[in-house]
Amino acid sequence: MASILLENVCLTFSVRQRMRLTLKEFVVRSMFRQSRNPRVEVRALQNVNLRINEGERVGIIGHNGAGKSTLLKLLAGVYPPTSGRRIVQGQISSLFDISLGFEPEATGWENIAFRAYLQGETPRSLREKVQPIADFSELGDFLNLPVRYYSAGMHVRLAFSIATAVDPEILLVDEVLSVGDLAFQEKARARMQQMMARAKLIVLVSHDLASLGSLCDRVVWLDHGTVRLDGSTQEVIEAYRQHVREPGRAAA
Amino acid sequence: MHATTAITDYVAAVWRCRYFWFSLVKNDLRTRYHRSLLGLGWSLLNPLAMTAVLCTVFHRLWGLPISEYGPFVLSGLAFWGFISTCTLQGCRCFYQAETYIRQYPAPLVIYPLRTALGAGFHLVIALCVVLAATWWFQGLGNLGALWSLLPTLLVLFVLGWSLAILAGVANVMFPDMQHLLEVGLQILFYATPILYKAEMLRERGQGWLVDLNPMAVFLDCLRHPLLEGRPPSLALLGHACLWGLLAATASGICLARWQRRLVFLL
Repeated sequence: MASILLENVCLTFSVRQRMRLTLKEFVVRSMFRQSRNPRVEVRALQNVNLRINEGERVGIIGHNGAGKSTLLKLLAGVYPPTSGRRIVQGQISSLFDISLGFEPEATGWENIAFRAYLQGETPRSLREKVQPIADFSELGDFLNLPVRYYSAGMHVRLAFSIATAVDPEILLVDEVLSVGDLAFQEKARARMQQMMARAKLIVLVSHDLASLGSLCDRVVWLDHGTVRLDGSTQEVIEAYRQHVREPGRAAA
Repeated sequence: MHATTAITDYVAAVWRCRYFWFSLVKNDLRTRYHRSLLGLGWSLLNPLAMTAVLCTVFHRLWGLPISEYGPFVLSGLAFWGFISTCTLQGCRCFYQAETYIRQYPAPLVIYPLRTALGAGFHLVIALCVVLAATWWFQGLGNLGALWSLLPTLLVLFVLGWSLAILAGVANVMFPDMQHLLEVGLQILFYATPILYKAEMLRERGQGWLVDLNPMAVFLDCLRHPLLEGRPPSLALLGHACLWGLLAATASGICLARWQRRLVFLL
């Protein structure tokens, strides 16, 4: 039974004001003098309570810097919460920053294997998937070349093909609906819809309110790291649109 | 009980992604050897050239027999290559894996493992050359003692992996750590009996430098079976195990403390 539960989750980034602290600065300034490079705390998420059950398709909306991607990474287990509880049941497949994380000197074929293994595939299970991944990417003979020769679009094609070749229980998606050129975008959209139909639980971050309207049955509106509204897609999107249209609204 | 379960779960998670880290290690080795015309020989060229120079110089200056000094210094350089690679490449291991770390919550320990396995492979190749050199100069007298290399290499691998973890975490916390470690390793290189025999220090009343140096213990464990044809004493092997355990404990504590925070510092 796939489910996600967040109880009073807070996530605070502690960063240096100017740059990272060297050991020399740590010894000299932090111990003997007042630091000129103090820590600054950024509260990315504050007291977030969420329960998402199997079968739900949840969209996350909010202004830039509202904490949407951070929330997704926290759900994926990449960011541990500073306080509160995160309980996730089910195997997670995440689609964010997908064009990153290639071994530049390895070929496309080899990178398919690396990424697929990281997603939990084994050599046996990968054997059946590797050709469909290659076919979907439409990279042909380029797969025999090291990926450092690939263009940005080719990176994204390959990454998307690998990332969407799994059967996820929980699918976390961050703005990957517009990958590649126009023809590939159509294919990608169809693939996403197939994947979403198979997944037991979906959390989708997007600024494309029209897409969220057709894909999700529930939407969570994040505002400066807190849940401002959580409800049906129509209700929350309408409230968000009204908020955005408000004259004299402070810039996000 | 809770700690035991946590450790078991962690080890199981490392095992689950074995195909991932193992394929990365294979890729690292393939990339390294494909680039050079000499293939495997390229990584051995540096210690072999260094050994040739040192043998020539010390043979001419002090009349040291090449048949004895050659395998001796080559074994020292092979060992040191492993330690310095684990430490200095370990500094970069989490940065190298940053994009993976930001996407998948895999156990962080697999990235220093990648470094240590690559370095371990080179060590084994280099030791094969030492073995060949010893057989060439001194005959097959060490065959009966070679089994003892297995426990030594195992403990040495634990040490290398631990060093990679510690260096990796330290370098994420303090970006100047790699430069400081380079200086520290340079000092440790000359304080370890790699180019000279430990007896030379003892004769000059500097034996404490060897006695307090864990690297000297591991080096003795390697050299006894390879060069002298006898396994290391149980006391020496136990001493090495103790250092290995200490390094593993330190790296385990370090990782347990920083594992959750490391992703925010990258």
